[in-house]
Amino acid sequence: MSETTINYARAFEELQAIVTEIELGQITVDILSEKVKRASELIAICKTKLSSTEEDVNQILKELDQ
Amino acid sequence: MSAPKKTFTLLQLTQSIRKALEVSFDGRYWIVAEMNKLNLYPKSGHAYPELVEKQDGVIVAEMRANLWKNDYERINQNFIQVLKEPLKDGIKVLMNVSVGFDSKYGISLTIHEIDANYTLGDLEQEKQNSIQALKQQGIFDLNRKKSLPMLPQRLAIISVANSKGYQDFTHVLDENQWQYKFFHMLFPSLLQGDKAVADLTNQLNRIRKVAHHFDAVVIVRGGGGDIGLACYNNVNLCKVIAEFPLPVLTGIGHRVNESVADMVAYKNLITPTDLGNYFIQKFHNFSLPVQRAEEALADKSLRLLSETKSKLHAFVLLFRSVVETTLVKNTSKIETLRVGLRSKTIQLVANEKGSIQKLSKALANDARTLLTAERVSVSKLQEGMKNRINVRLSKEEMKVNGLENSVRLLDPRNVLKRGFSITLVNGKAVTDENEVQSGEEITTLLYNGTLKSRKE
Repeated sequence: MSETTINYARAFEELQAIVTEIELGQITVDILSEKVKRASELIAICKTKLSSTEEDVNQILKELDQ
Repeated sequence: MSAPKKTFTLLQLTQSIRKALEVSFDGRYWIVAEMNKLNLYPKSGHAYPELVEKQDGVIVAEMRANLWKNDYERINQNFIQVLKEPLKDGIKVLMNVSVGFDSKYGISLTIHEIDANYTLGDLEQEKQNSIQALKQQGIFDLNRKKSLPMLPQRLAIISVANSKGYQDFTHVLDENQWQYKFFHMLFPSLLQGDKAVADLTNQLNRIRKVAHHFDAVVIVRGGGGDIGLACYNNVNLCKVIAEFPLPVLTGIGHRVNESVADMVAYKNLITPTDLGNYFIQKFHNFSLPVQRAEEALADKSLRLLSETKSKLHAFVLLFRSVVETTLVKNTSKIETLRVGLRSKTIQLVANEKGSIQKLSKALANDARTLLTAERVSVSKLQEGMKNRINVRLSKEEMKVNGLENSVRLLDPRNVLKRGFSITLVNGKAVTDENEVQSGEEITTLLYNGTLKSRKE
């Protein structure tokens, strides 16, 4: 698995954890903005992953020829 | 010169061959062969199967056959009933044939009957052998136990570029309305028939070399007809799939019998479109919670804020009322204390004033008494001193009178008066005769006058 694969999976898990926390009312207003900020970052990571890949056919072809 | 050659026409020869064949092969025979191609002509309803025999995968015998419309329909019906699939390419059959020869088309077999049970047994046997072998090696479940990443985004596709299966599959991935992005790369391979096993294996091995670029391998086939699919029961190919480092997913597109490749694959979804949708669904499974998270965050944050706000408001009200009550209580306490303090202070000041007055009076009395006492003792001392001084004075007077008498008695004039004289030499009184030298003048003082004389 590549670095980004791990990152988006972790981002997804962390995001779910934050949502669960908020839904269970375990978050106080004091840390709400911090959590919302973090969640926004995680959402961005997840959405980016859904709509882009970094693989390059030429690179793979080069490796196949080696 | 050689004798003129005896010649025949082609037709004469073929007719002769036909006669010979009809004599030698005049009956019907049960033979076993692989029906490589059925070659059914839907219009006429006749089929012209291509029969082969293989040894170790290599064709060692091949013949064309005729299966006339009536026979085909009857046999096909029977196949569907027994094998749950129609008569088709790539199956091993036991059939009842007669040998025929046509001057134009050459030698051929005419199929009168096919034993469906034989084919069923043969195919099933081969398949069961593969399953058994994979299970014995402990690798049957290996690929199914692999884990697919949450977003299987990078796919190595084994297919044929212009096949319907490949196009269906990539269409689902690339034209999805949610803007999900897949990376896929085609590893072209034959997907059916004799050479498919080697070809598929070769491409799987190529993918293994660059496996770190991919999340899964997909084998999709479609549009080529359900022929020559026995390769997917091949034990060697299935072994490669089972042991493959990435999850392998199949959409090989036959509806009746699941192949061994399908069984050992991580996932089998029959059609390429279904398989494409499977990946889309994986993306949904990821995307929807993210969207929900986004909504829930906004919703819950607002709710939390408004809840906290109203809690705070209630608290402010409570606080105010508590503060007011406390203030009132304490104000009256302070007033009580103030009054108490004032009256106590007045009392205290009055008390102190009284005692100061008492003290000043006492002080005045004491001072007066003391002064009187001191005055008395001073006048006593004065009296005493006066008496002592008088006593002392009279004592001193008496002493002085005594001394005056003594002094009067001792005066030389008084002594001289009584007849005594004083001899002087050079003004000095002489008490020893030796002090005066002979012939030296001496002066003698008398009470009345002086005498001058000389020592003899």
